[in-house]
Amino acid sequence: MTSGWLRALSVLLSVATLFAIPKLTGNEYVLALGVSFATFSVLSGGLNLVYGYTGLLSFAQVGFFGIGGYTAALLVMEQNWSLWAGVAAGGALAALVGLVIGYSSLRLSRHAFAIVSLSFALLCMIVARDWVSLTRGAMGIPGLPIPTMSLPAGMHWRFVQPSDFYYLLLSFAVVAHATIYLVVSSRLGRAMRAIKLNEALAQSQGINPLSYKLLAIALSALLAGIVGGLFVFYLTIVDPSIFDFYYTETMLIMVIIGGPGSFWGVLLSSAVLTVLPDLLRFTTDLRMVLYGAVLIVAMLLFPGGLGAWLQRRRVARWRRPRLVPR
Amino acid sequence: MDLSFYIQLLLNGIVIGVIYALVAMGLSLIFGVLEIVNFAHGEFYMLGAMLAYFLTLNAGLGYWPTILMVTAVAVSLGFILYEALLVSLRGESFERSILLTLGLSMVLQNGAVFLFTTTPKMMVSSLSYSNIIAGELRLPLSRLFALALGLAAFGALYMILYHTRVGKAMRGVAQNRDAALMVGIDPRAVSRLAVAIGIGLSGLAGAALAPVYAVHPLMGFSFVFKAFAIIIIGGLGNISGAAIAAVGLGILESLAAGFLPLVMVDALAFISMIAILLLRPQGLFGRGVRV
Repeated sequence: MTSGWLRALSVLLSVATLFAIPKLTGNEYVLALGVSFATFSVLSGGLNLVYGYTGLLSFAQVGFFGIGGYTAALLVMEQNWSLWAGVAAGGALAALVGLVIGYSSLRLSRHAFAIVSLSFALLCMIVARDWVSLTRGAMGIPGLPIPTMSLPAGMHWRFVQPSDFYYLLLSFAVVAHATIYLVVSSRLGRAMRAIKLNEALAQSQGINPLSYKLLAIALSALLAGIVGGLFVFYLTIVDPSIFDFYYTETMLIMVIIGGPGSFWGVLLSSAVLTVLPDLLRFTTDLRMVLYGAVLIVAMLLFPGGLGAWLQRRRVARWRRPRLVPR
Repeated sequence: MDLSFYIQLLLNGIVIGVIYALVAMGLSLIFGVLEIVNFAHGEFYMLGAMLAYFLTLNAGLGYWPTILMVTAVAVSLGFILYEALLVSLRGESFERSILLTLGLSMVLQNGAVFLFTTTPKMMVSSLSYSNIIAGELRLPLSRLFALALGLAAFGALYMILYHTRVGKAMRGVAQNRDAALMVGIDPRAVSRLAVAIGIGLSGLAGAALAPVYAVHPLMGFSFVFKAFAIIIIGGLGNISGAAIAAVGLGILESLAAGFLPLVMVDALAFISMIAILLLRPQGLFGRGVRV
């Protein structure tokens, strides 16, 4: 019981600290890193749900991210929707597309899903670049308006300062991670893990793998779509580079280093991998070379990631002989 | 818009289709024998083109020596790739193999960007402006050579697979790894050879297309996606299926480019793949996959 309370307390403390950062420092660089962390942690958390828990390697996350971004931007700019409705529509569309891809490819195998998800991500980029009449092509959609939130009592909160977006994305990240945590620690999450470990066995226990897989894909697509919508309004522009493979590779590295199927591990590695490379000031090319090398080494020597290492340590602790019997 | 226009489109489509086929067949061969999806496959296509560029322009080699040299280097790279990285992988670690080869692709691609920048390079040689003119048709010699090389590689691969003992062994391992082991086939030697041939084909494709298109570090990346779509359309692990699907896609794309907006042409491979998956999940030429 004590360790559970301790964990809850430390989570509360970390969240409180994160929310207090804008009060402690007005440094825009720190806030930008914070926004980046919130965004990437949601993306990698979603990927962890699909890959880490359910065992489906997906490259489609970046597609959902960009679909959310483009949908929100287009609805706000062309149809005069409010940001919130646009973002919700973006998330919903991303989830729907996720269901279509998942349903069509999972009928064959999870191998096919991996390949289809990859082609899908590339297709998104092509459509964004070449379907000029819809997406305005490679120039993207610049000058997204500053969103406003209506508060009770006729107040309005305009997202003018960097700290406003920091609060917004951090709040959404907290909601997203709470959702993911609820799913993975419930019956749903156990069923997903069972499917990953042994699909035939899970099936024999009355679990329908397809519906759980689709649920994981749709939920992660929804979260990625929403965070994409919020993120482009933070950038104030959306262009085809939002579908860049760089996002996919970064997400994957976060999940692999953190340990697929480890909620806290992936969260931690998202934080470290957002902050560390930025502090080290690598150029993007060199960073990706390094990430690639890390990926190779991790796959050869360390396939379980940080999470598996923590798990091994815990097991070792259980096994340690105790002199005083309880 | 007369007949010669269509024939021109058709010929272009066949050339590009045959090059797609070289890349896709290698990918399919590696998948069939090792059950590994090689994400770095396109990077070897890129390296082949890069190497051809430097051999021709900096070392002053002719067309045929360049092709031979690039293919030999690519085959050796395939051997090294298998022994250094892929040897520890087994079929059940499918995701691991993808991530491992993805890491390799990231290193090669971004390393190439870092060293050579993303500026496209045109490989200009005496070949570039030679055409064969037949009536209204103009056939650039570089494309014709690419076509001939592709067909020769087709033939060689077919001979290896169906008329040699080692080819038989390769097909055996692809069919049933355990049974192959039981009758005394060494899966490691066979896998090594399959990877070497696959990478060799990819490098050859790069060298053959280098005089036709611009050479740059990101060329393999977009190319390999089409190859993925092709091996799904042709049936995973089915090499002749991949070849037919590749030529079909090349022709379809080339004809579509004459009439449809660019976005449709690039999306064609993906749309066909989704359609095939919905209607015939085992691929056009696949057999006996449980859905």
